[in-house]
Amino acid sequence: MATMTRQLIEDSPHAVHLDEAVDEVFRLMMGVQCIPGELKPPSDTEMLTAVIGLAGAISGACLLSLGRKSALRIAEFLTGVQTAEMDTTVKDAVGEVCNMIAGAWKGKYAPLSSGCMLSIPAIVTGSNYQLHMQSPEFSIERCYQFEDQIIDFKVICESIQ
Amino acid sequence: MNGIRVLIVDDSSVMRKIVERALRQAGLELTHVFEASSGVEGLELLRAERVDLIVSDINMPNMDGLTFLKQLRTEDLAAEVPVVMITTESSEDHVREALASGAQGYIRKPFTADQVKERVLPLVEAAV
Repeated sequence: MATMTRQLIEDSPHAVHLDEAVDEVFRLMMGVQCIPGELKPPSDTEMLTAVIGLAGAISGACLLSLGRKSALRIAEFLTGVQTAEMDTTVKDAVGEVCNMIAGAWKGKYAPLSSGCMLSIPAIVTGSNYQLHMQSPEFSIERCYQFEDQIIDFKVICESIQ
Repeated sequence: MNGIRVLIVDDSSVMRKIVERALRQAGLELTHVFEASSGVEGLELLRAERVDLIVSDINMPNMDGLTFLKQLRTEDLAAEVPVVMITTESSEDHVREALASGAQGYIRKPFTADQVKERVLPLVEAAV
């Protein structure tokens, strides 16, 4: 079973699945197109990173990183209210988007759909941090653009059970 | 539909607002919107207030949605009230467990207002 899970995951087009998940979340929840891009989010002292833990069939984490303007814009799309403050609502909105992308991404893999749980999102502010994982099985990092905003989404798989 | 009292249970205040907006877009005229950030808060509210519809997230700290649902049925709270679960988890197991525990419907995130209308409106019309 574990070998079959590993094979199914290893043979999957990770980037395609992630692109589809990001597209679904932005299109359905915010009514905006979000497409893969080359640029990384500009380094910003008010950088936000939402972190969702993965546990079960795979363990690891999903990370959504973005700058202040992108975070404010996402919060505005989701709540319908414009804000200039990086308050708890903005952090909550970014955490929810990370949660939905992580859920939509893992739903693309049959063994993960029911065999992998997501944690509640945690939010890190600032960009001066390092995430340490011992020896990841695989990781995917993709940048995306909506309107003129850039976001970065990363999946790090630490182990496949 | 007029005069609906809804309880929305979700640890995310943003998601509670999104659900409220989607319910209004679905054509429900909400007169009271009660919000709870966990199953524990949801149960407390239901011991004090009457509602016509419960919409609850599954993945929450301090009592998840499935435990909330089971406790609701154990305490015989809001027995006739339709419960719709919202989940990011794409797992069929979660959906089956929710339905077996007494939920009448479920919505997967991400969702559209049309999906909310399709899933929720018939339940409320049948119950009210």
